[in-house]
Amino acid sequence: MTPQVLVSVRLKASPARAFEIFTRDVALWWTPNALFRFTPRSPGTLAFEPHEGGRFTETLANGTVFEIGRIRVWEPGERLVFGSGQETEVEVTFETVGAETRVTVVHRGWDSVPDEHVARHGFPNAIFLRRHGEWWQVLLARLREHGP
Amino acid sequence: MSQRVAGIDRTLAALADPHRRHVVELLRERPHRAGELAQRTGLALPAMSRHMRQLRECGLVVESHPKFDARVRIYALDPKPMAELKRWLEETEALWSTQLAAFKRHAERVS
Repeated sequence: MTPQVLVSVRLKASPARAFEIFTRDVALWWTPNALFRFTPRSPGTLAFEPHEGGRFTETLANGTVFEIGRIRVWEPGERLVFGSGQETEVEVTFETVGAETRVTVVHRGWDSVPDEHVARHGFPNAIFLRRHGEWWQVLLARLREHGP
Repeated sequence: MSQRVAGIDRTLAALADPHRRHVVELLRERPHRAGELAQRTGLALPAMSRHMRQLRECGLVVESHPKFDARVRIYALDPKPMAELKRWLEETEALWSTQLAAFKRHAERVS
């Protein structure tokens, strides 16, 4: 299923540098948010273990470490995919746009991914995903028109 | 909050299947009888009942029976789980907008 959220930003840094800062400095730039918590007792300190299969964790003030999800794709300077709870996944891509880098976050229900290996081997099924993304957009637009 | 997230996880899991999404789409037009749904989706009745059970369990779909025949099952969409999901999507979008703005500020400061 692809109920997904897509947000992007452009910044003055190379993709390699942006990836490095995104992952290494997550504890420095992440802004704790009351509405959205990775773990019940947030906020803590976020960290990525820098390799595929590594953990994305939150460490609380008392030292307790929560595993938020596993890192499914670790491609420095290009792409990062990690689990963020039972049913959702976050994909972050880094692309060169002129002298800047566009960082795009897609947060989606990861059950949607039709094949477990897709996340690891790129998106051969991109058309499938896009179609369902469109389906979702249409549904949301209708919800907006007609109310819940 | 965590209860809501669990509900959203259930909704996401129920909608993970293309047949169930198709059913939800059909039910957005109007309520349908079980037989009609099987016909329009091309699913065999046993498979259909399995999908309908999952859609009922997560609360997306409600089942009723017409007065004249209790054996006939009519399915309709309950908008509440969809509204929850929509709110989750909006909140998640707001969250990432904030986080990416913070990331950009940090990255440009240290680069």
